[in-house]
Amino acid sequence: MALYFGDLLPFSSLFLEGLWTAVYITLIAMLAGSAIGVLLYLGKAGARRALRLLCTGYIEVIRNTPLLVQLYLIYFALPAVGINLGPVWAAAIGLTLNNAAYTAEIYRAGFESVPYGLREAGKALGMKPAQIVRYIVILPATRNVFPALTNQLILLFLASSIGSIISLPELTNATMTVSNTTYRTIEALTVGGLLYLAVSAVLALASKRAETTLFRWAVSGHV
Amino acid sequence: MFRAFGWQDLIPLAKGAWLTIQLCAVSGILGIFFGLILGLARTSPSRIARWISTIYIFCIRGIPILVIIFFIFFGIPLLFPGMELDKFAAAVIALTVFAAAYVAEIVRGSIEAIPKGQSEAAEALGLDYWRKLRYVVLPQAMKIMVPPGVGFLIGLVKDSSLVTVTGFIELTQAGNIVTNLTGDPIKTFLVVAAMYFIICYGISRLGRLYERRTGIHINALKLPEPAGL
Repeated sequence: MALYFGDLLPFSSLFLEGLWTAVYITLIAMLAGSAIGVLLYLGKAGARRALRLLCTGYIEVIRNTPLLVQLYLIYFALPAVGINLGPVWAAAIGLTLNNAAYTAEIYRAGFESVPYGLREAGKALGMKPAQIVRYIVILPATRNVFPALTNQLILLFLASSIGSIISLPELTNATMTVSNTTYRTIEALTVGGLLYLAVSAVLALASKRAETTLFRWAVSGHV
Repeated sequence: MFRAFGWQDLIPLAKGAWLTIQLCAVSGILGIFFGLILGLARTSPSRIARWISTIYIFCIRGIPILVIIFFIFFGIPLLFPGMELDKFAAAVIALTVFAAAYVAEIVRGSIEAIPKGQSEAAEALGLDYWRKLRYVVLPQAMKIMVPPGVGFLIGLVKDSSLVTVTGFIELTQAGNIVTNLTGDPIKTFLVVAAMYFIICYGISRLGRLYERRTGIHINALKLPEPAGL
């Protein structure tokens, strides 16, 4: 069979709108999710037993069930108890709640990667508690978690495609619409796939760049 | 028209869970096989092999698995007319294509984590490339591959839920069917989620057991993240 991409041209704005939806859903879920993730991490690492169990349980349940099933529960099951969410809200909430559990684990790994002896060294040098938290806990931990967080951003962007199953009009949904209207299935999927590839490559490059400029002060290697 | 969600509905869900396990076992084994080849190619001295595997890994890891599933499921019959793929085979191919790229990254990470001196010592002893891999590098790399491999398997089980778009009746699709019969999405999908949880948590428990036995731990920051959300 001959490939012909010309039929897709009238749909280029549909592709771009889909891409834009995917990008903004990802950004919302990343920002809101990593904020909730901090709270989850603090709860899990905190002193209160009940809160610790609750946060650990939440993280384990989210990380051990598929995002699709979580979205189904939000989109199909919540209306049964009277909460009706459109696909955009359902996808944004689902991706946020999902992302929170993953970022919480990333923060945990990051903070645990800063050895306790370093804090004691800070104390021995006569640093104030606020200085210790700022320079010896938060800054090295941020640098250690940064690659994992940007990686999570890319995974989240790719996972936003799952929103198409609950009819979120994002890139995969647009791709399948074009495929069903033009019968140019392979061409549509190629264009959709290349758009995903381009954005994730740009995200990967940008995060590499950001890493080297943001943490220029850092000594090479993990502390 | 709907009947209430009852014990009899657990049977189709359990059957779906069993198909999910079968699907993941077959595509996991195939994915590990091809991923090992790709990972070795990625670290091999041959430039062509390195290029091919780098491009493959880059493309697959930059495209959502859902798009890959659509591509295999709708694209193969178009590219190879007359080829009849049953849904299980299409699902296995799609998950294998995807899994191989992730396994390859784990293999590469583990091989690169072995200190260079090991490989240099093997060369100094006069071992050729394949003997060096067979007797020096791989036995050490295999051990550190297991923890991220466990994360990969859990990711595979979760990602296999996306095969539902092809209509193959695995656990999530079984949930859709039961929902259509009972009109009770809450109970149905809570049970579905619980079944996924049991499978995934079981795999991660096995991984912890391995970690405790061997003292090898997942380095969450340096090795590739587990695939899938």
